[in-house]
Amino acid sequence: MIYPYIAGLIALIGIILTIIRFKEGRTSPRMLLFWIIIWILVILISFFPQETTIFANIVGIGRGLDFILILGLIGCYYLIFKIYTMMERLESNIAQLVREIAIKNEKIESLIEQIEISSSKKK
Amino acid sequence: MGNSNIIAGDRKVVQSKGKHIGPSWKFSYKTFIVVPAYNEEKTVGQVLNHLIKRGYQVVVVDDGSSDNTYSIISKTRKEYPEQIFVCQHLINQGLGAALKTGMDCALNHGAEYMVTFDADCQHDPEDIKNMLIPLKKNLADVVLGVRNFDHMPLFKKMGNQIMNTLTFIFYREKVSDSQSGLRALNKKSALLLRLDYRGYGVSSEIIREIKNHKLKMVEVPIKTIYTDYSLSKGTNTSIGLEILFKMILDVFKRF
Repeated sequence: MIYPYIAGLIALIGIILTIIRFKEGRTSPRMLLFWIIIWILVILISFFPQETTIFANIVGIGRGLDFILILGLIGCYYLIFKIYTMMERLESNIAQLVREIAIKNEKIESLIEQIEISSSKKK
Repeated sequence: MGNSNIIAGDRKVVQSKGKHIGPSWKFSYKTFIVVPAYNEEKTVGQVLNHLIKRGYQVVVVDDGSSDNTYSIISKTRKEYPEQIFVCQHLINQGLGAALKTGMDCALNHGAEYMVTFDADCQHDPEDIKNMLIPLKKNLADVVLGVRNFDHMPLFKKMGNQIMNTLTFIFYREKVSDSQSGLRALNKKSALLLRLDYRGYGVSSEIIREIKNHKLKMVEVPIKTIYTDYSLSKGTNTSIGLEILFKMILDVFKRF
């Protein structure tokens, strides 16, 4: 059986990449922990797939791997949702910035205009 | 028109009071027209000239246009520096954001009343003074311009009816024309409106805010000038679906 080793290798690469990203300061400690746990779970599940049946039976799903797949799918949907809300927030932040810049620039322009008008009156 | 003291653009009334000193004293100084413009190089200059000729002060918001819109606006501003105020979004943000910027800018300049006006030449500037009458008589906080649906091409008419129905279903407010671009509001309501939508959904959102803040609303019939150009702009099916999606999300946000 070669498949557990492939999965294990991928998970190992995943862990190393996460640690590198953490060292470079591109991930928070929380995300580091989260991803390491996920990858370790992947290793465990690929080497001992039978054990997942225990959990599957608790929830009422027949086979262990089915249970894992369902969990994975739900996890993916959750991540997509997270990314969606994050993007919404980013977009509204950008909008706020753009609006603020526009309003500030307009204010400055009007002020310059007023100064020019008043100085030309003095002359 | 006998009611000269309630009509915007009547310079005599303002001058006789004579207490408002500043660059804009000779105009109908507290009424601002907010014109959001995105890639409207063909029409924006014409719209601005029409508004200026009638003595209004205009806030134009260039919403990150990629064509010559901004340079046309700047050129007009050089000719009438006291009547035009220009805000430029560096990145395109959508109608909602542009309206918000324009309204904030107008408030900064001491606006008492503001009118939102589309830059695609589909509105008649003559309608503005009719829109302002209920505001100045204190009969309304918000005035919505209602287009005549009889003169509307069928596909536009159906789209608008659907949007009205959706607005009613989601926000429980019956209006004759929820997507009209011509609206007038007083300072109080401009300060109260909390607009989050950045795109075309803002039209329905304004209705929601009117309802939430229990503002007085009056509908005034307006003329609409349909050209091939103005027909190609505005709400289409995909934008309609987007608005629907936002409305559904809005329901979830309330919980």
